[in-house]
Amino acid sequence: MKTRFALVIAALLAACSPAQGEDLVSGLSQDVIQITSNYTGTDIVVFGAIENRSVLAPNPADIVVLVRGPDVDMTVRKKERVAGIWLNNHGVVMEGVPAFYFLASTRPLNEIASKATLARYGIALENLEPRADSARTAAIAEPYVRALVRHKTLEGLYNENIAGVEFLSPALFRTRVPVPASVVRGQYNAQVFLFRDGAVVSAQSTPLFVDQTGLERRLFNFAHLQPLSYGIFTVLMATLLGWASSFFFRRNA
Amino acid sequence: MEIYLPIAEMSVHWLVVLGMGGAVGFLSGMFGVGGGFLLTPLLMFYGIPPSVAVATTASHITASSTAGALAQWRHRAVDFKMGGIMIAGGLVGSFAGVWLFGILRRAGQIELLVSGGYVILLGTVGGLMLNESVRTLTAERSGITTRKTRHHNWIHGLPLKVRFRESRLFISVIPPVVIGFFVGVLSSLMGVGGGFVLVPAMIYLLRMPTKIVMGTSLFQIVFVAAASTILHSVNDFTVDIVLAFILIIGGAVGAQFGVRAAARLRGEQLRLLMAILVLAVGARLFYGLVAPPSDPFSVAVGMP
Repeated sequence: MKTRFALVIAALLAACSPAQGEDLVSGLSQDVIQITSNYTGTDIVVFGAIENRSVLAPNPADIVVLVRGPDVDMTVRKKERVAGIWLNNHGVVMEGVPAFYFLASTRPLNEIASKATLARYGIALENLEPRADSARTAAIAEPYVRALVRHKTLEGLYNENIAGVEFLSPALFRTRVPVPASVVRGQYNAQVFLFRDGAVVSAQSTPLFVDQTGLERRLFNFAHLQPLSYGIFTVLMATLLGWASSFFFRRNA
Repeated sequence: MEIYLPIAEMSVHWLVVLGMGGAVGFLSGMFGVGGGFLLTPLLMFYGIPPSVAVATTASHITASSTAGALAQWRHRAVDFKMGGIMIAGGLVGSFAGVWLFGILRRAGQIELLVSGGYVILLGTVGGLMLNESVRTLTAERSGITTRKTRHHNWIHGLPLKVRFRESRLFISVIPPVVIGFFVGVLSSLMGVGGGFVLVPAMIYLLRMPTKIVMGTSLFQIVFVAAASTILHSVNDFTVDIVLAFILIIGGAVGAQFGVRAAARLRGEQLRLLMAILVLAVGARLFYGLVAPPSDPFSVAVGMP
């Protein structure tokens, strides 16, 4: 008798608080991107499902997918005219800027959650900030930040895709992430957030690796780890090819 | 077919790169020049970062000058003693050049240096060549021949004189060292061989016999370009071996066609064509410096 009562209470509780128990499962179509000699960019798919989806919830759940590349330092310079010639000035340094940034959501971000909430999870590009000691106030740096976002967007490295998350069924969703040829190597992170009523109910993070492979990787490592040998090797290759061409074409002539 | 360049970290169309190497090789075979001063701007127009363009061209020059120097050596047209002294100056010069290159790269001014340097270089060389070829062509038409006078200049007053048997000269080692140094700096800063500076300097300043000038300058360029390649690899990590390989292959084939084409054209006409080409490339780079940029902002990875 007592246990049956407890079960009824539990069932009632579950019905009254619909958010409870909702969970996310997500995955990537591939967790390693290999840059080979004919790599010209690729697409990965982030997909997932909402588990224990509460049918009784008055508002629909929102999904935000955020894929972030390795953090790098970037210098944004502005050309200024000096004596008729356009020169780069000193510029603004930005530390810890993502080399790759992709964002997709089910609705415009401001409808999903408040700015403060989004900022807490690093969602939205406007949260980029220049380094404090670059001796420029935020007001001066602002056009530089916008220029950075504009440049990276043109290169396909930054992408904010409102309504880019597609629901295949009420619980099943996916989004396509275009990865251009100019991505840098390193560890990326694909984060999926489940929002309900302006708050994060569940989140999941999956690492994604971008790496050069085969000959490209070996050459890159060779050039960076043993630069002297690499230089000598390049010179040897050049002189050999030069010698071979003079030898080959002399016999031909 | 796109190919990924591991050092430039971008993908390019390998046929386009092969074609660029071939076109520059053709011109260099036709006009008897190294072609580095055309290749670096061409790579930049294609979107290769200036620092990679300069450093990779140095390895291309190493290959083309090796082929050229070997051909001249077979004709016994190399003064090894003179060349060796110039190499000594050239190696110091390329050290200085790569050091300066690194400073400017970190300051974000490499584009200005390379473009600005090329405008001055191509403008001067192209202007001189145009002037000379136009004068020769008009002089030919009016039937006037100019006679060269051979007289001693200030160079003969310098100390540390050495005898150069192949050049039939007895002069100080200071001018060859200084010329070598200057060409070394130019080579590593701009990705050129420097033949267009070396050859006139050897003929007009050192008064070397014309028939050994080409071989000796190529001999010097092999070593200075090789040194620049190695120093750029160590200092800037900007030599792209895949890009270099395609360019060298294209250049070697193109040069053979260039040599054949040159046989059908007259020397003065060739020089006029070359002058126009050099001036056109210079004008294009100059336009890039003075025209208002479509976007004044640029983004570079890393800190200055």
